[in-house]
Amino acid sequence: MAFRSLSHRSILALVAGVAALAGLSPAAQAQPRQPGWELGGVLDVAATSREVAFGQRDKGLGLGHSDVSLRGPLGRALSAQFTLAAHTHDGKLEAEIEEAWVETRTLPAGLQLRLGRFAAQVGRLNEQHPHADDFVERPLLHRAFLGGHWFDDGLRLNWTAPTDVYLRLGAEVMRGHQLVHEVASARSPGAFTLNARTGGDLGVGSSWQLGLSWLHNRREAEPEDPAAPHEHEAHGAHFSGKRTALVDLTWKWAPQGNNRQRQLAISTEIARIRGINRHDTGTQRHAAGTLSVVWRHTQAWEFGLRTDWLLADHPHLADFEPLRLREQALTVAWKPTHAQALRLQFTTQRDALDVDDAARRSVQLQYVLSFGAHGAHSY
Amino acid sequence: MVRTRTEIPPSAAGPRGWLRRVHAALAVATAVSAAAVAAPAAAFTVFACEPEWAALARALLPQARVHVATTAQQDPHHIEARPALIAQLRGADLAACTGASLEAGWLPTLQQRAGNPRVQDGAPGMFYAADHVILIDVPQRGAAALATPFAGDVHAEGNPHLHADPRRLLEAARALAAQVQALQPAQAGAVGERLARLESRLQARIGDWERRAAPLRGRAVAVQHGSLAYLWRWLGLVPVADLEPVPGMAPTPGHLQRVLQALRPKPPLAIVVARHQDPRPGRWLAAQLGGSVPLLVLPATVPDDSAPDAIEDWFEQMLQALLKAAGG
Repeated sequence: MAFRSLSHRSILALVAGVAALAGLSPAAQAQPRQPGWELGGVLDVAATSREVAFGQRDKGLGLGHSDVSLRGPLGRALSAQFTLAAHTHDGKLEAEIEEAWVETRTLPAGLQLRLGRFAAQVGRLNEQHPHADDFVERPLLHRAFLGGHWFDDGLRLNWTAPTDVYLRLGAEVMRGHQLVHEVASARSPGAFTLNARTGGDLGVGSSWQLGLSWLHNRREAEPEDPAAPHEHEAHGAHFSGKRTALVDLTWKWAPQGNNRQRQLAISTEIARIRGINRHDTGTQRHAAGTLSVVWRHTQAWEFGLRTDWLLADHPHLADFEPLRLREQALTVAWKPTHAQALRLQFTTQRDALDVDDAARRSVQLQYVLSFGAHGAHSY
Repeated sequence: MVRTRTEIPPSAAGPRGWLRRVHAALAVATAVSAAAVAAPAAAFTVFACEPEWAALARALLPQARVHVATTAQQDPHHIEARPALIAQLRGADLAACTGASLEAGWLPTLQQRAGNPRVQDGAPGMFYAADHVILIDVPQRGAAALATPFAGDVHAEGNPHLHADPRRLLEAARALAAQVQALQPAQAGAVGERLARLESRLQARIGDWERRAAPLRGRAVAVQHGSLAYLWRWLGLVPVADLEPVPGMAPTPGHLQRVLQALRPKPPLAIVVARHQDPRPGRWLAAQLGGSVPLLVLPATVPDDSAPDAIEDWFEQMLQALLKAAGG
């Protein structure tokens, strides 16, 4: 939080410093591998014709989630990552430490412990940096319930089962400040998460993954005052509550498993939030869902279609107003090399109820460029 | 898991619901780990990033359980860190990979997600062939540091596809055997004997292949990516053109035109693409060259790693295809 508004100058200095560091790092050759530190950066720029409701990109030209990342081992037993991310918001450049964690590598029995700041393990997409997404904006579900990309200070314990079918169980204790900023009441620690993830292959060509997540949030959001200007919190969740349940399911298929050339990826996530605040009578809830289909036609061309919906009981003082929104997005991406993507997306938001800024039509053009060691991709 | 879930009372969504869910999760964890402990001691398990290392591991340790992450139909640079692969690496005693950043897009994620201390970088169970072999096409020291994202997938360590040179493959086999022996001291003698058999078998074949490949020496080939660069170097073939404008980039119409103009005056022996690549650019080029230049679609690695002579069969297959293209 304290890091939120760095000046342009300090960011430039930092980026320049890191770049200088990259220039100095020697390229190891023909010697036994010394596990080393890797430095990488990603630039994400987008032009937006019209801001979408709960969107994360300003109208006009803006910097999306761009980052500089340093990662590597800390001795035999630990690994660490540091990521400084920047984006523009309302015309201002904002930078924040997005990841700063150490993780064990050598605990027995498939156990792993992580401490520091990192993206919470809820749903499928939250752990992934937004610039790696197949769409210009995160799904409505993530934007509305997780502030787009919920990273926070905390502690994580994961256990991967020694089974042929992948099974991982994880628990996190998080501060919760990045999830709910303005609180009516809060207890510390602010949030707990539980996550189970399983998956496997179905023959050579296809694979699947199922995730179940549970988020217990102990930070009660300040209800909106209708008299006050209708200002959405730009960071943090737009809608929160005590108990969030998320289910995610992904299925991917590529001819002969050669996903470099062609791939069909279908993914869905559904979330429900209950216990919105102290005025909740037990009947209020927020719910959202997303379904995306992405087809990689060749090495260089990808097409994606996504449909999103959101239902919320929007707290106004001691009352609740029903809120509703549907969103559809169509995207085409051209990836001339592995390090670049140019993406054109059409988004339409419909059936809006109590959403003032729904965009009937929005066109976005995004360019993503990766420098140096780009982090490995998650599933 | 189902049984445990029914233990959660319907009122689990109460104020202490999360606590009950923690208990439920712990119960599942305990049940699964108990089942794992009760299972009989599993065989020595090898996770091979590519089929050639699976074939070597099978030759050295026939009784081992071997998982192969990729096939000859797949581009080893671009594999997804799928759940199945994480589970396989989680249970591995040894991971045998190429290294030199070939697997940089997926192996680090697998290592991080699997949380298996035996196969972390630097651990005795992590084997990178590239650490034991001298690589070709190593960019100059300054060039690697100055490489921009537009230069394509240039590996600072050099060309990682070292397995296409059988002599280097043997060097890697020796290093792999030493690592297996250190992990399985009781098997050291047997592994040593199997390595010696593999060496003598392969050495004899290398001599034979080199004699038969004599007519290929000095002949030109048009290639797509450096997947078989070590094969060309070994047999004395000359890759005169690459269909990829920069490493890892799909062929573009403009670049193919330039390649066509360059090849027209002196057509090469063949256009060679790997089985995991899109054959259409190569097909187009072959048609434009008037059908006199054949398009060879070769597996860039061992097609069937569980065959008894997997490695020999693969080299034999490639050599025969090239000799056929040369008209003999």
